[in-house]
Amino acid sequence: MTSTTTGALARWVLSAPLLIFLAVFAVFPLILGSWISATDRSILSTTIDFVGLSNYFQTLSDPKFWSAVRFTALFTLITTIATLVFGFLLALLVNRKFPGKTVLLTVLILPIMVAPALMGIMFRLVLNADIGLVPAVLNRFGLDLYLFSPHFVVNLLVVLEVLQWTPFTFLILYAGLQALPQDVFEAAAIDGSSAWRTTFQITVPLMVPAFFVAGFLRAVDALRTFDVIFVLTGGGPGTLTSTLSIYIYKKAFIEGSFGLASAAAMLVLLMVVPLIPLVIRRVTTQVGDVQ
Amino acid sequence: MVNGKFGKRLLRSGAAAAMFSIAMQAHAQDVTNVRMVLWPGPEGDAMQKVVDTYNKGQGTEDGINVEMVLLSRDDTFAKEATEIATGSSNVDIYFTATYNVGFFARGLQSIDDIGLDTSLYFPTAIDGLTIDGALYGLPLDVSNHFLYYRSDLMEELLGSEEQIAEFRDISEKVLGEARDPKAPEEWDTDDYLAAAAYFSRAENEDSPTRYGTVLQAKTSPFNITLWDDLLWGLGGSWTAEDGSANLHSPEAERSMEIFRTIYEERYTSPDSAQWEYGETNAALQAGSAAFALQWSAAYAELTDPERSPEVYDKIAVAPMPGDPHSTHVHTLAISLNKESQNKEAAKTWMAYLATPEAMDAYAKAGGIPSQPAVLKDNTDINPAFDAIAAHVQQYGYSIPIFPGTFEAMTALTEELSGGWVGVTDIDAALEQANSRLEALLER
Repeated sequence: MTSTTTGALARWVLSAPLLIFLAVFAVFPLILGSWISATDRSILSTTIDFVGLSNYFQTLSDPKFWSAVRFTALFTLITTIATLVFGFLLALLVNRKFPGKTVLLTVLILPIMVAPALMGIMFRLVLNADIGLVPAVLNRFGLDLYLFSPHFVVNLLVVLEVLQWTPFTFLILYAGLQALPQDVFEAAAIDGSSAWRTTFQITVPLMVPAFFVAGFLRAVDALRTFDVIFVLTGGGPGTLTSTLSIYIYKKAFIEGSFGLASAAAMLVLLMVVPLIPLVIRRVTTQVGDVQ
Repeated sequence: MVNGKFGKRLLRSGAAAAMFSIAMQAHAQDVTNVRMVLWPGPEGDAMQKVVDTYNKGQGTEDGINVEMVLLSRDDTFAKEATEIATGSSNVDIYFTATYNVGFFARGLQSIDDIGLDTSLYFPTAIDGLTIDGALYGLPLDVSNHFLYYRSDLMEELLGSEEQIAEFRDISEKVLGEARDPKAPEEWDTDDYLAAAAYFSRAENEDSPTRYGTVLQAKTSPFNITLWDDLLWGLGGSWTAEDGSANLHSPEAERSMEIFRTIYEERYTSPDSAQWEYGETNAALQAGSAAFALQWSAAYAELTDPERSPEVYDKIAVAPMPGDPHSTHVHTLAISLNKESQNKEAAKTWMAYLATPEAMDAYAKAGGIPSQPAVLKDNTDINPAFDAIAAHVQQYGYSIPIFPGTFEAMTALTEELSGGWVGVTDIDAALEQANSRLEALLER
């Protein structure tokens, strides 16, 4: 056996666990999902017939699907940008030595530890007009705030998402900040660059790859949002806050139409896939390229 | 070769252990394990006690051990849908209800042969679990609605000329005609709306409560049933006599208008756009609402001095407002998995559960059985049992039962909840709801 063959074999052997994991938990479900999306599989029927692209056409002609696409896109865009901005600001604030830093870091990342469904239930209680802490405090000052009314509920969902996931982007961006080359900042300090200018002309450009990693991961997660919204609003009033995940859930488990649900899920995947090469290109950008 | 006392003792112990193990295995082979799904909460807690009693007593004679599988309250039916879709035999008995037994029917087997005495049950429970003449579920808990109201506030209103005059003025403004206040037992839907206005500070600054009532307007399939009560109370229904969808009727429009008025005129909290069972109880307990349409299951909590210290002795129940008074009734049930490997054992257990003795134990453990005689026998445990039995029999109705019932409940709440709170136009919401219902009925 030549060394090249041995090397190739070693690479395959070492990669095998991950490849098997991906095959079982990603590739197989994807193939199965694609197949189901081309059938009329339903809980109401004992037979399964091949229907080709019919489920896709039906989904694409459903106004509720597009309403869910619009809400999900808007929700994803706003929450992703907001979590990146707040995460970066937090990272800048924490990126220095001060007493109690470890304690603060622990407190900052606590919201990630809470299950989203539990977060929804928690805020349902905390914001309840009759037994909630927040309305009680506001009432003391003569203020009434109806966060669950149709006028505010979308904003409430955005705020909760940002509250829960800003720590996540903060962690990635803080790690990115820590990894930046210090000599550039020392040179800027010697040249008398202001903090403002240093941040916007050195830190931000150098952090672009980290922003893309954090933004991409957050966007993918926001795109799949289900728990908090389902617990708080059920997708309503009407379908005002219905996300794609809620749409798919209802298709599968309320209507029992697994074919239609799979088609909708595949369409969501197709919407996201084109973004992946773009993100990978940005993430692999070298510091030198940015400069 | 084993030498000495220690060796002999070891041999004897080994032999004894082997004998014990063989005996246990033989016993295990004699006992059939029946797996039954239920959801957590009062129903699961109550059933666990009945299961424990059976496993220790009758179960040993029957050679059956019942194992409860508690799924989460939110997605029990979603998990069951997956199990049924895959033809799984993981569980022998599924948890079902009158509103979804048709949806699951493909994976269920009729239980006509378990010797059920249907005369023991509310007719709506049996009818709601019967598909094409065959019974597909054993009824457990019955659920209906009450109008919960503050008896102290109503007495005060009905006993004061000044307040009666004020009520007349407000009712004229809201309904276009002056009305005298009535006892809640006599309310029709307009009385309900007028009283909601009278007890709201938005309309009456001297009102003892901030809001007249509580809407459960969250987009949830169960909330549509409260709106249904007004629809039926006005003489309407989901369907016309020929079975076609009938949600563009004047009755449906009026029901929508009542909910919309209550919401937009602030006779309920603006937050109630996302409220359901729990928030309704909280509003009554906090004294911020004078009355509410709510599930019968809330009675125990609202009249409990510990959980409702401010109002426990001031809460009374009346039939749902309407002419005729109408309350949605659904029954939770258990159904036999068609793919079960232990059908005979499962049927034996279900036959046991159908006995008045088992249902009596279930009631004592906190369940609300759908056998009227058992409810009447246990009114000392829960005073609401008497009212539940009376209301279900006198005012109960069942929404149309077909494979898409639960889907229809979801579709209607999706379309109509926006109309209740002003997000969508009433006519458009009803039209959309009607066409979705029509499509489901035709399917």
